[in-house]
Amino acid sequence: MERWSQLKETQPLAAQMLINSYDKDRMAHAYLFYGHRGTGKREAARLLAKTLFCPYTADTEPCQECRECRRIDSGNHPDLHWIIPDGASIKKEQILELQKEFTYTGLESDRKIYVVESADLMTVNASNRLLKFLEEPGRDTTAILLTENSEAILQTIRSRCQQIAFQPLNHERMRNYLMEEGISKSNAFLLSELTNNAEEAKEMLEGDWFANARKLVIQLTEVLQSKPNEALLFVNHQWMPHFSEKDTLQRGLDVLMLWYKDILHEHLAREEAVVFIQEQEKREQAMMRWSRAQVTSCMSGIMEAKRHIHQNVHPTLVMEQLTLQLQRC
Amino acid sequence: MKFAIQRDQLMESVQDVMKAISSRTAIPILTGMKLEATTEGVKLTGSDSDISIESFIPAEEDGTVHIENIEPGSIVLQAKYFPDIVRKVPDNTVEIESDHTKNVTIRSGSAEFHLNGQDAEEYPSLPQLRTENSFDMPTDLLKRLIKQTGFAVSTSETRPILTGVHVSTEEENLQFVATDSHRLASRKISLETEETLNLPSVVIPGKSLSELNKILDDTGDSVQISITDNQILFRTKHLYFLSRLLEGNYPETSRLIPNESKTTVLIDSKELLQSVDRASLLAKENRNNVVRLLTKENNQIEIHGNSPEVGNVTEEVTADTIDGEELKISFSAKYMMDALRAIDATQVKISFTGAMRPFLITPVDDASILQLILPVRTY
Repeated sequence: MERWSQLKETQPLAAQMLINSYDKDRMAHAYLFYGHRGTGKREAARLLAKTLFCPYTADTEPCQECRECRRIDSGNHPDLHWIIPDGASIKKEQILELQKEFTYTGLESDRKIYVVESADLMTVNASNRLLKFLEEPGRDTTAILLTENSEAILQTIRSRCQQIAFQPLNHERMRNYLMEEGISKSNAFLLSELTNNAEEAKEMLEGDWFANARKLVIQLTEVLQSKPNEALLFVNHQWMPHFSEKDTLQRGLDVLMLWYKDILHEHLAREEAVVFIQEQEKREQAMMRWSRAQVTSCMSGIMEAKRHIHQNVHPTLVMEQLTLQLQRC
Repeated sequence: MKFAIQRDQLMESVQDVMKAISSRTAIPILTGMKLEATTEGVKLTGSDSDISIESFIPAEEDGTVHIENIEPGSIVLQAKYFPDIVRKVPDNTVEIESDHTKNVTIRSGSAEFHLNGQDAEEYPSLPQLRTENSFDMPTDLLKRLIKQTGFAVSTSETRPILTGVHVSTEEENLQFVATDSHRLASRKISLETEETLNLPSVVIPGKSLSELNKILDDTGDSVQISITDNQILFRTKHLYFLSRLLEGNYPETSRLIPNESKTTVLIDSKELLQSVDRASLLAKENRNNVVRLLTKENNQIEIHGNSPEVGNVTEEVTADTIDGEELKISFSAKYMMDALRAIDATQVKISFTGAMRPFLITPVDDASILQLILPVRTY
């Protein structure tokens, strides 16, 4: 997404709002971009930075070729500050550093832009620090906060930003795009649910990680149905080695979630919404095992597990707990 | 880009420039050092975004040739490796060449290094020297100015503007002021320029000034100082030192300085300094370094330090004269010592306006240096 015209196709509302505020010279001092993963928040922030810094911006489109644009792409622009979480959260020190940066004059220009990625991961201390200079913005300073979870941001911060919603991408569009790219129909269905980013989808398909993940998810529910006593063993021997990292485990749980969703769709006879389109038979079997109410409680169990992982609970323990819960349902 | 350079010259410049480069920086390109070759010579640049140092090596100076075979161009090299390479090359001449793929070859004697360079276009562009808004000053005077005011800047970030030294001009006078809201140091000098200067007032970060102080040699050579919109530039013969400025309005300080005084003390600076130092020995830890000063008969001053858990110290110092009301006042020994050291005169004049008002320390016959200290309330 290199141009506003491209962003307009996927995010018509957000793009138009930003373009208008630039054209009418009514830039807010702080923006909060919120929306799901892969909806183009980061690209939009970069585009906005380019538009503001590029001396050759014409019709709101930055030139993409000048020194400013190139340095924004490479992360070397001295007056653009990009904060990404250091580990699991954005620390107070990072905001302090930023704050110090803003008491100084710009290195090259008077305009300064800071972007805070995953702004919901700011610690309370960091949030409060940031709040202080959202309240007293310097001249020509623009803040752009990005988040997937705008509810997790302090109310006091939210109220000081112009909020711009990034709509989830249309799954069907994504699906068709992936199929055009030569990805099999079944994979395209699944991937379009997991991510909104075509590049990321293609990356996931590389190697056999994804195919195995998919197989393991279905196997897990099969084991739960046929040999419930071996479920824990299965988790320890097969599941954990494959989903060894925190983020791959999150992905695995996403896939598991989709599978349970499918079972629910089966219950409701909503064939068109099903994602695992090839697994008709297994879905029907699973439907016999879990009633509609049970599927829902399984799903909330998975949500809970995802939250625990995020909170750094030991992955094996989380998975064991989840397995027991699924077994009991 | 291509040139062959004398190693010693290069090494000296590299060492100067390295002082500005920090390994942890938010902007990746700043971990590098920029080399720029023109027909006149080679310029090295290092920066941590707060301060930037440029060092220029002329191709030819006083008939000695430092650099040969110059093909103009520029490149950014990894500052982590380049200095060590220059230090350890076997021969006295170093040849540096970069090709269009940003590969850099460093040749010296029989050794040949290949380094991956980065595009110089990516490096921040620093403001150029402008002749308007600039003036000259001897290096040693500038260093003294920094020493006399720089110590008083605030170290706390709660009021960022106070972490800098306020530099302003008024007619021919140049004034440096620093305060941390408990004390204030000010120094005024007159600039011998023909045209009246019309410089904007700026606030230079205290940290940048202390870096500058380290880099400048104590010589009588002149430094050219010029101010651009967002940076200040100090230029010596081959070295350019740039610092970003602090943004915001510096508080009005002239109102803080009392015009009248109720008690005036003239005293030998060294004697007072030493006795305050001694009194602070016992007050250092649990009394916030507060000492008390009492005026007595016969030009005597009593300096008293007390911390009930440890003990107390009393010393009498003879002042040259004491005029005005009797006085009992407490203040921070550290601030007093800093101020006396900064003034660096044999005899000082201290003007008090009561125990609760700030007091002023100046050299006896010189109004250009001024140190103001806020007393501490005790009971």
